[in-house]
Amino acid sequence: MQAGWLVRLLLGSFLLVPTLGYSQLEQFDEELTIKSLRDGKVFSKFSFTTILKGASPRDPRNLGTDDVSQHYIVFPLALGQILREYAVTELHLSLNAGKWNYDRWGYPEEPGVGTGAELWTWMGDSTQSSINERWRGLRNALAGLFCASLGSLDEQRTTSPARSFLPEGHLPDWGIPHQIRHASLPSENVCTENLTPFLKLLPCKSLSGIASLLNPHRLFDADWHGMSVHVLWRENRGVEIRLTFQTISDPLRLSSGRKQDWSFRTLFDRTIEKTCPVAQSSRVVVTLPTSVAYAIEPEPSSVVLGLASFDISNSIKPLDIGLRFAGDFQYPVDFDAPLTSLSVQRILHGSSQAYGQLSVKLTNHQAEPLRVVYLETMPWLIQFYLHTLKIHIDGMRNDNAMSEVTYIPAVPHARPATFQCVLSIPSGATMDLSMDVAKSFLRYTEHPPDAQRGWDLPPAVFTLIEANQTSPLNTNRRLYTPTLLVDLATPDFSMPYNVIIFTCSLIAFLFGSVFNLLTRKFVVVRIDPDKKNE
Amino acid sequence: MSKTKRYSRSRGLAFSAFLAGRQLLAFSSSSRLLHGNQQFSSALTSYSHLQEGVYLFKNGVDPYSGGVFRHSPLYLSLFTTILPVTGTASSVLWTLSDALGAWALVKIWNSRQCVPSSKRDTLVAAMYLLNPYIFLPSLAQSTSSFENTLMLLSLMFASQGRASATLLSLAFLVHLSLSSILILTPLLLLLLLDPVSRLASPKSLFSLGVDFRRLIPFLGEFVIYLGTFTLLSTFTSGGWSWITQTWGASLSLPDLTPTTGMWWYFFTEMFDHFRPFFLMVFSVHLLIYIAPICIKFQYDPLYAAFLLIGILGTFKAYPTLSDPGLFLSMIAIFPETYPYLRHPIVTALLHLHASLLMPLFNHLWLTQGTGNANFYYASTLVFACSNGAALLDCIWAGLRIAIGEEREGYAVAQE
Repeated sequence: MQAGWLVRLLLGSFLLVPTLGYSQLEQFDEELTIKSLRDGKVFSKFSFTTILKGASPRDPRNLGTDDVSQHYIVFPLALGQILREYAVTELHLSLNAGKWNYDRWGYPEEPGVGTGAELWTWMGDSTQSSINERWRGLRNALAGLFCASLGSLDEQRTTSPARSFLPEGHLPDWGIPHQIRHASLPSENVCTENLTPFLKLLPCKSLSGIASLLNPHRLFDADWHGMSVHVLWRENRGVEIRLTFQTISDPLRLSSGRKQDWSFRTLFDRTIEKTCPVAQSSRVVVTLPTSVAYAIEPEPSSVVLGLASFDISNSIKPLDIGLRFAGDFQYPVDFDAPLTSLSVQRILHGSSQAYGQLSVKLTNHQAEPLRVVYLETMPWLIQFYLHTLKIHIDGMRNDNAMSEVTYIPAVPHARPATFQCVLSIPSGATMDLSMDVAKSFLRYTEHPPDAQRGWDLPPAVFTLIEANQTSPLNTNRRLYTPTLLVDLATPDFSMPYNVIIFTCSLIAFLFGSVFNLLTRKFVVVRIDPDKKNE
Repeated sequence: MSKTKRYSRSRGLAFSAFLAGRQLLAFSSSSRLLHGNQQFSSALTSYSHLQEGVYLFKNGVDPYSGGVFRHSPLYLSLFTTILPVTGTASSVLWTLSDALGAWALVKIWNSRQCVPSSKRDTLVAAMYLLNPYIFLPSLAQSTSSFENTLMLLSLMFASQGRASATLLSLAFLVHLSLSSILILTPLLLLLLLDPVSRLASPKSLFSLGVDFRRLIPFLGEFVIYLGTFTLLSTFTSGGWSWITQTWGASLSLPDLTPTTGMWWYFFTEMFDHFRPFFLMVFSVHLLIYIAPICIKFQYDPLYAAFLLIGILGTFKAYPTLSDPGLFLSMIAIFPETYPYLRHPIVTALLHLHASLLMPLFNHLWLTQGTGNANFYYASTLVFACSNGAALLDCIWAGLRIAIGEEREGYAVAQE
């Protein structure tokens, strides 16, 4: 029938338009990078990027009015709604577990490897709704979305370190100032219930494409793992969401011999069965080893500069990429040679629960002098004594190596301390920074349930400044030190009633005795020995 | 040689000997070891906090924006300009402060006895300088030594009848330590009267012919001095935040570092709901002793001031050992009460017990980890008992003198 044919044509065009629309407005790419490391471990990074072309973040000055309707097809709706609700320009959230060993594994591809949860955003200031209110709403919304206790990143953990955490994308030119809010929770544990909502943000979930390799049993068994969400805006591209998952797996531990071989089967216990249909590009990039004999299968689509690329959509499924090494694993001769320009070690000395000493040791492995921005965001539990800060370079005292110090002191029960400075380390030298700290005595209700475990202190962040720069750029590398555990003095938790009773009794006794003595009259009493018995 | 000259010569020699010994000890590194000791300094008086505040101030950071520095801005202005804050020169400062305090105590004694000098002067100075409760916090460079010195100076000026000097030093003292406001009333009475001992013959102030109209200008002068210092402090620190950090600390107890007093553990274990109420109770508790003691001892205001110093030493918010130490040292100027003290041995033994156990239990709890917070808390309770016992004994003795000597067949009691 003619009408039916027309209706079908119209319906078809309606169906076609959205798909045409998505390919113009949204783009989804996924990539898996795998690299064998020097000590036999395997670094894998999953990266899922969704670009909303032509879009821009919400202007916070429009927060009073209703938002324009947003239509997303591939872009995750749950996260997009949160971003619009709180007018967030740039957001970085990472949930990591384990300690990233810079000396063995080099720099990670995503720099945010501090243990626990780390959340930092750049938001525009507005009179409609202050940044702090939106920060609180954002934390709680993300806590609900990712099942992580991000709601406890309150003012006692929030700082504004603008020199160390520069925006990765661009900040829109609305004429209003943008501010950063950064908070970290080192004691946050990461597990499957954080991975599940992460996967729900992907268009293909974990059913097809590279995301189907994300097997929680193997991922959370890794030596180090971290998931992160990055939202940024680039002026010529639009809003970009990048979801990444990095792991350090250990094939040596799982292999029966000393074989460094890995494959999708051994690493993730999964293979790629189907391509994700909405992915514009879906690649696996393997860094080929340079010094040993190996065999890689299946054949890569292309090999460029030592990187083998596999195009998933054109590969035979089920796809199980594997790298086999000719011989057994041998620790290389230059096993301990540094892979980064800077090695950092941070220790809290002291066995007293009243005082301690924070000491940071930096070693410059470069041939040129190195300048770094040292950021310390210490909770108010640890009070710095800045006047005791001592710097020794190779054993010699040199306090001039520190410059451009900004210090925002901690306010007890309210605000952490923010200490930022630029350190200059000569080439090949070791710098020892030490500072006395005082440990606080907390109120009864401020102690956590397992008070004797201690408190986790967030990592210090070092941002490397290149030789020709005066201040760091957003592309500069960031190093995170491991977290510290501080043991604070605890009162006796079984005793609140007893303490109040004892003290009040003593005060009442003294008060009563003083007033007795002051108010009673003296009498002289005759003691007659004859009438003693009466 | 006249008696006075002989006394002055021996007094001077003894003085110098004590001070030289103290300074020699201060030159050793024992000072540095004692800086962090929680018996000798509190959050309001610690030397490390003072150094930190001065360092932040010199480097352009507002020391009152954070929580470590709780000293008065007057300390900031003095230590960044004329006084040294590091090294051996600062230890000389503390020795000089102790010397001044001892000299002021001797002068108070002389005013009370109405003689220019007496043979007990050396003993009085020794009771101040050699008292470990005074000399150890001074060695730890705790600023409570300055507060003691100012207290004694204001009492000395009041004993000599010099009103302006008294009120100026008291205003300065209140700026350094808010709880010292307790001493205002007996000092004013002392200015109206004189320091001569009248414990044996109590009379009301009216019958002694005191002119109360002189009180108003004294109070006005004190308020003016206090206001001037407040404005000076605000100007130095560039804002009003110093008020909540320094004076507010005594009232709201933000820092719960253990001290020798009764407040810290009480407010550590207190639930948040009740904190404001009990903070109010503890602060008002200090104030309610002023009126009764001043009314009862109105004929001997110096003794009333002495008792209120004892109250401060026992019940203050952030005490150190210097506060009860001042009380114990000042007993030296009231020898007329000695025969009537009922239990001096018990008080002394309680003090010995507490002063030996407090540092031990503090060390066991915080450094060694084999003890509990309760050990230290118990020892501070014993210390409070010992201070209370001393206070009660002094009150009893001060009142008992008026009844007269003990006679066969009669007993004196209170009903």
